[in-house]
Amino acid sequence: MSMFMFDLCVVLAIALSIALVKLTRARRRNTRLTAELARAMRESSLHQTALQQRKQLDDLKDEFISTVSHELRTPLTSIRGALGLLSSGVLGKVDDKAANLLRIASTNTDRLVRLINDILDLERMESGRAPLQIRRCSLRELVSQSIETMSSMAHNAAVTLEAIPEPAGTSITFDGDPDRIQQVLTNLLSNAIKFSPVGSSVRVLTGSDGSNLILQVEDSGRGVPPDKLETIFDRFGQVESNDARQKGGTGLGLAICRSIVTQHGGTIWAERNEASGKGRPGTTVIMRLPRHLASEQTSAAPEPPECAILVVDDDAIVRQIVGEHLRRNGYQVIETASGEAALHVAERQPVEAILLDLYMPGMSGWETIERLKKNPLTAQIPVVILSVLSPSSKSPEIPHLVATAQGWVQKPFNESLLLAELGRVLHPGSGPGRILLVEDDEDLATVVLSSFQNAETPLGMSIEHAASMAEAEEVCRKDPPDLLILDLTLPDGSGFALVDWLRRQPRLRTLPLVVYSGREVSESEMSRLRLGPTQFLTKARVEPRDVEDLVLAMVRHLHTPTPVTASA
Amino acid sequence: MRRILIIDDEDDIREVAALSLESVAGWQVLTAASGADGIRTAQAERPDAILMDVMMPAMDGPTTFREMQRSPDIAHIPVLLLTAKVQGVDQRRFAGLGVAGVLFKPFDPLTLAEQMANALGWRDDG
Repeated sequence: MSMFMFDLCVVLAIALSIALVKLTRARRRNTRLTAELARAMRESSLHQTALQQRKQLDDLKDEFISTVSHELRTPLTSIRGALGLLSSGVLGKVDDKAANLLRIASTNTDRLVRLINDILDLERMESGRAPLQIRRCSLRELVSQSIETMSSMAHNAAVTLEAIPEPAGTSITFDGDPDRIQQVLTNLLSNAIKFSPVGSSVRVLTGSDGSNLILQVEDSGRGVPPDKLETIFDRFGQVESNDARQKGGTGLGLAICRSIVTQHGGTIWAERNEASGKGRPGTTVIMRLPRHLASEQTSAAPEPPECAILVVDDDAIVRQIVGEHLRRNGYQVIETASGEAALHVAERQPVEAILLDLYMPGMSGWETIERLKKNPLTAQIPVVILSVLSPSSKSPEIPHLVATAQGWVQKPFNESLLLAELGRVLHPGSGPGRILLVEDDEDLATVVLSSFQNAETPLGMSIEHAASMAEAEEVCRKDPPDLLILDLTLPDGSGFALVDWLRRQPRLRTLPLVVYSGREVSESEMSRLRLGPTQFLTKARVEPRDVEDLVLAMVRHLHTPTPVTASA
Repeated sequence: MRRILIIDDEDDIREVAALSLESVAGWQVLTAASGADGIRTAQAERPDAILMDVMMPAMDGPTTFREMQRSPDIAHIPVLLLTAKVQGVDQRRFAGLGVAGVLFKPFDPLTLAEQMANALGWRDDG
């Protein structure tokens, strides 16, 4: 063997052994990676199972709460009714002893009902199933409403309620859930009245330190001992163990108050009047709320899309009712009392549509719409006339108005027609109505599809079917439908995910929606599922014909070529 | 005299509610234990108003109401729903059906008639 061959062999041998070592290492690493991958997959599937179990548990709990609430109230209805009739004497006089026993039974049934309501309320709030409905609130308005609500209880206890705003004259607004904050106020007032001596007064002091509002409810009752000032906010944490029975409370009022205030990102606590130098005995409960919520505190559910509707009417009651309907359905609302103010707002703020009254002092609706349409900044905003006049009225100025406005709702109106008309204007359908059914169950899809084919469908209306979220997104991207019928459970994502996606699409976020689910949808879930006009149906509760009727009604409103008129 | 039809699957609740309306308000009361039975009774008797439970087996309150709306001879009779559900969203959903009002369980037997009259806009005692 020549030297050359030997060298070659050595080189080859070295190369071979290096390759072998590398291969072994690679194999080893490969085995390790495979093992890691297997472990990761096992873990992921465990996570998945845990998540699924968690979801099932949450669903079970939801269903349990809803069932308990209904099942407990049903027998209580009979008991309360029977006792109430007997103790009132309308069925015949009962002797004093019996009457007293009946009164006791009756009062305690009432207490049981309140207890059930409070427990369910607290449970819903703490599990995040009752998201806050945040809007701009006036503190003074909420205080005066609460005082009015509690006035008869105060009167019976011979206690006066006083609201003391501070500083005088300024009005404090804040972002909060008005129903919930009012619940806190009435709870605090009810406590204060219960523990106040006859002839004394309960004072509600309000103020602000800039970024927070501060509200104090001050009584001159027996006072809370220093060691109980914190525990009174616990569930059933009354000062005396028999307070709940004697005072008719549930022992949950302050726990509910704290839960609501905490949800708003605020704090609530109690102080003894002596300790704070108030010069009279008793207790003051103090609530401190941030006036503007940090975005992560607003609520567990995503906020409905920004969609400001301008309501223009000189009648404050109409503005309030319309505003309430709209806010309840996820719209942002701006209210103005005159045409001048409306022009001012529409020029400066993003407005998606204007609901316009015709008969207003100063600038009338006729003049307002003319000016809106002449101004390039506002000409594109759709206007819906909200008037006692009918669009088919014989007056000479009506046809021009019908042609100028995009929609018309006649007063008195009902909520669903107002919403349908607004939905139609915000989402103008062109051409024939197209419905998209998103349902993964083939059998069910066939039933719904065929029920539409049999139905008296308006001319040109068509229905399409998507069996998955991906398919639905594709259809929506290519050619947005006019209405979506959505099943909540889909193979590749939930209906929630699809709604989230739709909300991010400018053309689709006001799409009318019918949610068709196999189970009851909770309130918090409903707020996550709203797009444009949204209706909820439960498969077990409705027949296909109901879905069909509802969908046809919605489609008709979408495609009514002449404005819809509505009367209550 | 006002004639009211009560539709509820719970015998006890029917009885208490009927007794309450009869003895407190002096109204005449008819009862039915199911949605289907309620529709038949309403067609035969034409009551002035209907007080109907929401949660009933077979045909629930809202379904019965929609069924009544399809029947021209009784579609005009005002319907009040009686529910044990207190969540705001349920109330709004029921109100959205077009019923004359929604009342809650447990009801106060002494003011049930008054609550109904208020919801129905009945001023006089009929």
